[in-house]
This record gives sequence, C-alpha cells and structure tokens, in this order.
Amino acid sequence: MASLSGPPARPPFWNLSAWRAMYPGMWAWVIQRLSAVVLLVIFPFHVLNPYNKWLRIAVLALVILHGMHGLKVIFTDFGFPARHQRKLLWVLTALGAAAFFWLAYLRKAFWGFF
Amino acid sequence: MVGGGVIFRVRRGGEAGDPQERYQTYAITPRPRMTVLDVLTSIQSEQDASLVFRYSCRVGMCGTCALRVNGRPRWACRTLITELGESVTLEPLANFPIIRDLAVDMTPFSDGLKRVRAWAEPTEAAASAPARIPPSSRERVRIDPHIECITCGICYSACSMLGHDPAFLGPAALNRAYTLVCDSRDAASAERLAEVSGEQGIWRCHSQFNCTEACPKGISPATAIQGLKRQAAASGAKSFVSSIIGGRAPGA
Ligand code: SF4
Ligand code: FES
Repeated sequence: MASLSGPPARPPFWNLSAWRAMYPGMWAWVIQRLSAVVLLVIFPFHVLNPYNKWLRIAVLALVILHGMHGLKVIFTDFGFPARHQRKLLWVLTALGAAAFFWLAYLRKAFWGFF
Repeated sequence: MVGGGVIFRVRRGGEAGDPQERYQTYAITPRPRMTVLDVLTSIQSEQDASLVFRYSCRVGMCGTCALRVNGRPRWACRTLITELGESVTLEPLANFPIIRDLAVDMTPFSDGLKRVRAWAEPTEAAASAPARIPPSSRERVRIDPHIECITCGICYSACSMLGHDPAFLGPAALNRAYTLVCDSRDAASAERLAEVSGEQGIWRCHSQFNCTEACPKGISPATAIQGLKRQAAASGAKSFVSSIIGGRAPGA
C-alpha cells in the first residue's frame, strides 16, 4: 500500500472528482466564478452593441449574480459568521432577484424588452 | 422503500486505482431506527464477513465511523437510513488514502493537527496558577462554538480545496488553531498564526463553506478560518505600518 505514506497526489484542475460534496454555499461559489467568466466574454459585445436588449439583460443578470455572491464573500470575510452563510445566501439571492425584476421589468421603457 | 428492502452499493477494494476496486450490492431489510452503521455491521455478520469499515463508540462521540453516503460525508452511527431513499451508495471519505473498502488512512488529517501544534502550550502564568476566564468573556464567546470537534474527518472530505491541494491544512486543523490562538493562556499563538498564514493555510480556503455544511457537530470551521484571516491581516497590516514608520525614522 504505497499510498499510506502520504496524502493522495494533486489531481489535475480539470479532474472534477476533486469537487467534493456540492452544498448550496459551494454552488454559490461556482456561480460567482462562472458569472465572472461569462461577463468577461460578453461585456465587449455589450460595449460594441449597447442597444441589443438580449445582451443588456444578460449583463444585468450576470452583474447582479456576481455582485450578490461577491457581497456574501465580503460580508463573511469582514465578520459575518460563516455558520449562517446559507441564510445570507438566500437573503442576497432574494434581493438580487428583486433588483433584477425591478430593473428589467418595471423600468420597461429603459429596457424596451417586455 | 419498495417491498421493504433497501439496496446498498458499497465500494470495495484496496487503495484508489486497485484493480479489485468495485461496487458490491447488498439488500437490507430495514429495522426501526436503523443507522448506516447498523447496516454495515449486519452486512458483516450476515452477508459478507470480509467487509472492512471502522467504528468505535456507536453514539457519535469518537468520530471514527465517517464515510460518504450518497456522495456526502456523514457519520455512519448517527445517520438513519430512513432519510436516504431506496438505493444508497457507501464510499470511503474523500481526500484520504484508502486502506481497504471503507476504511481510510487518517494520517494527512493528523499531520495537519501536528502542523498547527494542536496541543496547549501555556504561558508561564497559566501554567503556574488556574486562569480565571468567565464564560461571558470575549475569548470564551469566540472559542466555545469551535471546541466540540471529534476529529471525524468529515469536513476534510467535504473540502474541494483539499481535493485540489492535499498539502492544505484543512478545516479541522485550522478550527483547532483558532481555538488556541484566541485563548489568552496560549503562549504559542504567534507561531501558530505564522504556520496557518502560509499559502497552504488559511489563504487556501476559498470560502465555499462545505466544511460548515457537513460538520456533524455543528461546528463552522469556515468561521474559524475567517477569524484567523482577520487576525493574520491585522498583524500583517501592523507590521507593514511599523515598517513604514521605521523607514521614516530619523537617521534611517
Ligand atoms: S470540525 Fe466537524 S467535521 Fe471537521 S473533524 Fe471536527 S467534528 Fe468532524
Ligand atoms: S462510531 Fe463513534 S462517532 Fe460514529
């Protein structure tokens, strides 16, 4: 049993088996990182084509998603107890959803969408 | 539970990658209040005496029975099978070398505890006379939610950062370090803080909170890690400021 001498070798980053149990906080983390990557890709298109309503709504949704989950990390870093992180996640998600619908739907003149 | 039976798929075989590695299926007729540990002992006594797993206290105190139930790390002796559905997969804890079947080698976990010096190193005053620390004091309020660890390794298995970096100290060792660093009787806080402040310590934590979700004792190692991060940042800022002030000192 050679492996008993130490911890298992570091798996390559694409090996998803290293992503262990997926709890809500972990999903929130993944969504926060992924939203940043997608934003990086679509934001230049939004700048070139600022009146495309699909791009606008996507940018709005992604900025809110990324920002709300980012706030969660900042709050826990600055003292919000991590043992209540799940409640914080739901509150921020609700606030983010409200902000999204307010901006995207109630202000329809601005979005020209619905 | 169709027909009253539950199917258990159990990971068998030696260390990861063993050609003998396989999932073996056992049918179990549930008894009232049956736990996953009861299932394992009944498989071992009635169906397959060669099944390897570890347990000791059977009442949630010793922390030896941890394994993965349907992908998530849990304690076998306190997990009722009524919560689990008709088909249950049992696997050894992740992030540990496997010895055989469901038993893992806990060495990486205990190494982490050694690296943070998980034992008390009292100040001279604390060693010579009992310290008076009221339960309502700031340090007890900070420490108390973090002291009930049974070293089960569940948080270690749940941590995806450990999956990527086996040298990471991991949630339980950092949780233990936090209880000591916050303790006014501890003489080695500076050394501990230096040890946990490395790349493979607190800064490896990416705030995914899997440890907090998984800990069967309701401990939040992530809260401890956040506390250590703030302390490390404060002491870093202090030495940065004093180096600037020192740099401006006359004659410097
Ligand atoms: S912190 Fe919780 S999950 Fe981690 S080893 Fe201790 S009791 Fe187990
Ligand atoms: S057997 Fe001791 S905690 Fe489960």
